Amino acid sequence: MKYREHVRSGGAILWFFQRVTGIYLAVVLFLHVWILHYALKEELGFAAVKDRIATPMWKTIDISFLVIALFHGLYGLWIVLDDYIHKGWLRVFIFGAIAVIALIFVTLGILTILPFNPGGY
Amino acid sequence: MATHAFKINRYNPDDERRGHYMQEYPLDVQKGWTILDCLNEIKWKQDGSLTFRRSCRSGICGSCAMTVNGVNMLACETQALTLKSSTIVVEPLRGYPVIKDLVVDLEPLVESLYAVKPYLITKTPLPTDQERFQSPEERAKIDGLYECILCGACTSSCPSFWADKKYIGPHGFLKAYRFVADSRDEGTREHLEALDDKHGLWRCHTIFNCVEACPKDLNPTKAISELKKELVREKIG
Ligand code: FES
Repeated sequence: MKYREHVRSGGAILWFFQRVTGIYLAVVLFLHVWILHYALKEELGFAAVKDRIATPMWKTIDISFLVIALFHGLYGLWIVLDDYIHKGWLRVFIFGAIAVIALIFVTLGILTILPFNPGGY
Repeated sequence: MATHAFKINRYNPDDERRGHYMQEYPLDVQKGWTILDCLNEIKWKQDGSLTFRRSCRSGICGSCAMTVNGVNMLACETQALTLKSSTIVVEPLRGYPVIKDLVVDLEPLVESLYAVKPYLITKTPLPTDQERFQSPEERAKIDGLYECILCGACTSSCPSFWADKKYIGPHGFLKAYRFVADSRDEGTREHLEALDDKHGLWRCHTIFNCVEACPKDLNPTKAISELKKELVREKIG
């Protein structure tokens, strides 16, 4: 007898990725707080950070931070909402809205980080 | 003056208009009485219409799981005086449809249990002259798993189940892992099949209510973590 229909979830990879990104965020967040608030000699401000964030390494770290934090946070939000939203159209709408928000912030962030050049200031 | 006030959920399907309501029964609780003893006392001496499930009265059958003062427990394994409260509120298990008073319809519990194929699956034929052997170490791996009596206390305490009635639930996961961890079982894939599902493992958010609710002190959350690892290993090697 077939008791319930089976709906594939593909949740394993996403679940694992959420753990990995969680660890990555913990490390990068610690670095971020330490570098900005403890290791910095001068007063925190644009002048103090502009040279550092112009280097390719920091641009890479910042972009990965941006993308991974947005993914981790917004996917986490979806996981919570997923439990409680059962109507098909509402699920599509909310998932779409989250995806659009992610896209807007990733674009804005990358547009800020990538072309940044302290020489202009 | 009775020592205790029992506030018990009443519901009669033949009186839909009245719906659910709480009825209070005064009771002189004696030392050593379990909640089940108290309910029996009320049913036999005060109100024969009070309905609840019980069978073994010794924590084996799992029939008498209910919510007492907000906590899921076996009525027959909990002494009333240990609750240290003169008011005792007794409700049916949460999340399941109530049939009458304290009796719930456990069909969803059974249905999700079937989904994980809760039996030993073997491929190699049984030798004609011996049993399927298991070393004491291998046997020890299913300690804390095989003891489940399927009372439903865990799943009925789980917010993921409250939100999704098709959610397999901690009892199903614990049972699945009981066979996945059994050295004699050769059907890991079959047991895991139903778990990697929209209503499966990934809906567990490690809330730990099931661990607190289990009257047998088992740890479904740990079993769930092991199963998650098992599935991730399967996917990414
Ligand atoms: S009556 Fe059997 S477990 Fe309580």
